[in-house]
Amino acid sequence: MRNLSLLALLCLLTASLYAQSPPAATRFTLQGRAVDTTSAPLPSSTVMLLSAKDSSMVNFTRTGDNGAFTFKNIKAGTYILKISFVGLIPYNQLIKHAGEPVMDLGPLKLKPITRELMEVVVRTAKAPLTIKGDTIEYNASSFKVPPGSTVEDLLRKLPGVQVDQDGNIRAQGQEVKKVTVDGKSFFGDDPKLATKNLQAEAITKVQVFNDKTEQAKMTGVDDGKKEKTVNLQLKEEFKKGGFGKLTAGAGPASNNVSTRFEGKGSYNKFDSKQQFSALLLGNNTNQQGLSFNDYQDFRGSNSFNWNDNADFGFSGSNRYLYFGDDNESLTIPISGGNGRGFTKNTAGGLNYNYDTKKTKLSTSYYFNQTRLNLDALRENKSYLPGSTNLRKTDTSSQSNLATNHRISFRLEKQLDSMQTLLIISNSRFGLNTSNLQSQQRVFQSVANSAELPTTYSQSTNNSSANQFAIANTLLYRLKFKKKGRNFGASATFQMNKNDGDLLLKARNEFYQATSVNDMLRILNQDQGTNSVSNQYKANLLYVEPFAKKFFWETFYNFNLRYDEVDRDVANLDDSRRRIDSLSLYYKNNYLFNRLGSSVRYSYKGLNISAGVAGQQFQLDGKFARDQSQPLQPINRTFTTVIPNVSLNFDLKNNRYLGANYDVGVQIPSSRDLQPVTSNSNPLAITRGNPNLLPQLGHNLSASYNYFNPGSFINLWTNIYTTYFVNQIVYSQTVDPKTLITTTMPENLTGGKNLGSNIYFGFPLKKTKATLNLNTSLNLGHNLTRINEVLNETNNQNYSFGVRLELTPKEWITFYGNANMSITNTKYSINTTQNQTIYNNSIRGDLNLKLPGDFYLNTTLNYNEYKNEKLNFNQQIPLLSSSIYRIVGKAKKAEIRLSGFDLLNRNVVVSQYAGQNYTSTERIQSLARYFMLSFTYNMRGVQAKMRRDYY
Amino acid sequence: MKKLVLVLCLMVSSMAMAQKTEGVVTYVRKDYWSKMISRLTFLSQEQKDRQTQLRKNWEENNKGTKMKMAFNANESLYTYFSTEPEEGGYSWRQYELDLYRNFEKDKKTDIIEMLGKTYVVEDSIHAPVWKIGNQIKEVAGFICMKAETEDPVKNQKITAWFAQDIPVSAGPERMCGLPGLILELNIDDGTVIIEATNVAFRPLTADDLKLPKVKGKKIDDAAYDKVIRQYIAQQTVAHENPYWEIRY
Repeated sequence: MRNLSLLALLCLLTASLYAQSPPAATRFTLQGRAVDTTSAPLPSSTVMLLSAKDSSMVNFTRTGDNGAFTFKNIKAGTYILKISFVGLIPYNQLIKHAGEPVMDLGPLKLKPITRELMEVVVRTAKAPLTIKGDTIEYNASSFKVPPGSTVEDLLRKLPGVQVDQDGNIRAQGQEVKKVTVDGKSFFGDDPKLATKNLQAEAITKVQVFNDKTEQAKMTGVDDGKKEKTVNLQLKEEFKKGGFGKLTAGAGPASNNVSTRFEGKGSYNKFDSKQQFSALLLGNNTNQQGLSFNDYQDFRGSNSFNWNDNADFGFSGSNRYLYFGDDNESLTIPISGGNGRGFTKNTAGGLNYNYDTKKTKLSTSYYFNQTRLNLDALRENKSYLPGSTNLRKTDTSSQSNLATNHRISFRLEKQLDSMQTLLIISNSRFGLNTSNLQSQQRVFQSVANSAELPTTYSQSTNNSSANQFAIANTLLYRLKFKKKGRNFGASATFQMNKNDGDLLLKARNEFYQATSVNDMLRILNQDQGTNSVSNQYKANLLYVEPFAKKFFWETFYNFNLRYDEVDRDVANLDDSRRRIDSLSLYYKNNYLFNRLGSSVRYSYKGLNISAGVAGQQFQLDGKFARDQSQPLQPINRTFTTVIPNVSLNFDLKNNRYLGANYDVGVQIPSSRDLQPVTSNSNPLAITRGNPNLLPQLGHNLSASYNYFNPGSFINLWTNIYTTYFVNQIVYSQTVDPKTLITTTMPENLTGGKNLGSNIYFGFPLKKTKATLNLNTSLNLGHNLTRINEVLNETNNQNYSFGVRLELTPKEWITFYGNANMSITNTKYSINTTQNQTIYNNSIRGDLNLKLPGDFYLNTTLNYNEYKNEKLNFNQQIPLLSSSIYRIVGKAKKAEIRLSGFDLLNRNVVVSQYAGQNYTSTERIQSLARYFMLSFTYNMRGVQAKMRRDYY
Repeated sequence: MKKLVLVLCLMVSSMAMAQKTEGVVTYVRKDYWSKMISRLTFLSQEQKDRQTQLRKNWEENNKGTKMKMAFNANESLYTYFSTEPEEGGYSWRQYELDLYRNFEKDKKTDIIEMLGKTYVVEDSIHAPVWKIGNQIKEVAGFICMKAETEDPVKNQKITAWFAQDIPVSAGPERMCGLPGLILELNIDDGTVIIEATNVAFRPLTADDLKLPKVKGKKIDDAAYDKVIRQYIAQQTVAHENPYWEIRY
């Protein structure tokens, strides 16, 4: 009965609406009867009254048992009456009211849709069927034909269409005389030309209808003859696309700097399945690699993949192991900014993606080369137990050439709806050559006495290295019918190979030596190092939803790293005699096993998980000074239990609360483990430690965020602390005679840090001005052993920042920020040397739209570095500006004049205070230059006045 | 007047008895972000293309959000299918969304959480003006007809497919007022698609049509449209995508 009330209501509404006007000929009643072709009544048909003007629905009703319907009190006018009944072609009739109070249409016949069309098209192919008078339109994409099929093959599949052996087409029994594509005739009159040549894949719709003859169209006289016509509509996305962008610029030599140039070109081609891109760039303006946008354009659909992590662990934390190795990444580096020194860069690559629902394939090749010239001035002041200080100055000049080739492959295959297989392979081949010339001086002072020069060293390092690294991963994921039950298995093989050679020439003078022999040391060595590091990993994961809202996760990790190092150092001044103290043959197996389990509760935005894992490390190493000598074993086993607790709470009104406790494990790097002595800097020798244990960090953190999208107020806060067990620290011993520093890693427990960040943003005036404030605090307590004395360094860092975004008008925008950072450092071994360093910066970015379609962008970057104790005070204002105009009617080109560092003050500076030293560094870098550049972008150039967030 | 209604009721009563007019529809709502981004007027073609290329595979893998609607001839309630995470992932809080219609009384109550507030929109139904098309297709086992309308506030083209043989005026999201139950909505050429996956006819219990007890700011349709219109205008000026925070 309820549905009746609805109908009654609607009638009531309609009726009451019109009831107010006086009854006249302006109102009428429309009635009729819906019947099928056998004149049997069609009860419950939908009857709609549409406005003839735009087909908008005015009223609707349903027919009764006898198929009859009535619309009462209808305003006089023109309408379309539409009757629909499942399985029949909707009936349409134009209703022109001629003034009579009751218009009776009598029986209205609805024709059946052929069973074939209904069953095949609508039910099976789920294709919408469009009925336009006598035209029936099919959705071609619903009819599956094998890849590579022609339109002819497709037509054969369509109900009501026949294609004979010669390719002649008949539709609804009549011969098709004309085939058009998107309404236009296709290469002449032969209908077969289109159907035999066009790919079925390219077609979205097939329309069959009667068209006027060509003759009738030409003469404009309708001869009444109609031709059966088939129109093929092309797919929107199949219309293949391509776009490209080219930038070229040059600037004159000036200011002791040679001619500047930059060029970048990219081209992308795509269709619904494939993406292809090519990229080439070169410059001598310190732009080393791809910007974030360049990277996304280059990699397309494969820019970011979320589920590639094969190292299973506690949910929420991605990696379970960290390696200290500083190898260059296997994947394409993203970097935009201005590098240090002077660089000349070339890069380029090709990328191809093929994506279908079941298979996703991506491959790329990327090449980059950087030639770097770097002149640096470094100063380091270190504090030794007692009241001794050492001051070292280092003036160096370096030229490097680094070339890298990277190949990537990724295949994701959906085996069925439950299983996914992923194969990833990334590799890098690198060549490096470097020439470094350095002059070092060491000064010693005891207590407050005057400084005494102790050492002078001149050295030349010529090095070359070949590197090859590859990582292959196979990852299998299985979902079960039971929701939330998951299984994962993965295997990884990684290899790092490095063949390096260093020619070291050094002349070291020790002024305070007591014997003549010790006064001068000359090194002339050839150091060859071949190393291989192979890593085998296997991982398992199983997730079981054991109760409503509860998940039980279990994982197992196996990890074996095999390192082999063969290092031969020969004295070139002594007929290439081998120097045993520096040479080494070393092998080790680092085995790691972990089994862990956790329970998670997830419901209504609250996720809590708690778990524990047991892990064991086994080091099985062997070393000798030479391959021919007997190997000495090193064996260590280390077992630990690591807990993990996490909380994520998504609260009402955009508030989030998070808390986490976990233990991070860092395995010593291969380099730190090798008992190798490296004297590439003769005054700062480093030595590996085969007894190193993994570093454990107990991390505790909490965060709270709030965001109000209505008022645009943001608040982000967090607090974190870490306590280290077996922290890998670099302890130093200083030779009392030569003041040569030897650094060796060791494990120390007790280091910790504590920090907090707060960020608050709000609009000063909505859409016009936004202010963000931020502050952070970090307290660090670090341990190192200096000459066997334990030194505790306490760092306190405070920073404050403010950011202002002004976007008052379309023609002017300003983005500014200021940051201040203070670091206090205290050394327990030498309390008189406590330091305070300041790093302050101000940045402003102004965009203006000028008359005549000119745009101006100006940035000021002001940095200040201060350390009063060291009397170090450096201010660097960097002012850059560019003016550009978008040219051409189509707005596809841009001409730009840029001036970088207009004040000619660029020097890259950094300062640091920690461990037992403070250091400063000044690097001469590319300063003032001008450039005129031209950009052509096939998709058009748009001025960049604002930062977009989308 | 009342007599007329009565006569009409009687006339259609016999045929309506045979009809199925009570049950629960399950929908899947999918948002296609690259299309949404492509409609942002402040972005350049280059930025739009970049997003389209980048998001291709993510959108293919998007399983959408399951929604449900309880309906009978007079009432309907549209809300999330479940608050539980699909496939055992992390649970995220959903913005409150409960859209209730009473066709008999011409009343609606929409509980919508957005822009940091919970709104309770109470007004008469205000069904859109529909244009009826000439296409039929099948959705969830029902032959549906095409109807089109426009959302003047969000400036969207909306296509609805309504079942010829379920004589209920209800529909998903804020759409309704057709001669049959709306089983599919397509907003702006597939930018958002809400498609029925199942229609289960069964007698409803009182709980099926019960709105949760939620405190919120009571407003009417005009005020609601104003909030949306202002927010879209604001975000467009600020070069930000408004649809991260409001439903497209």
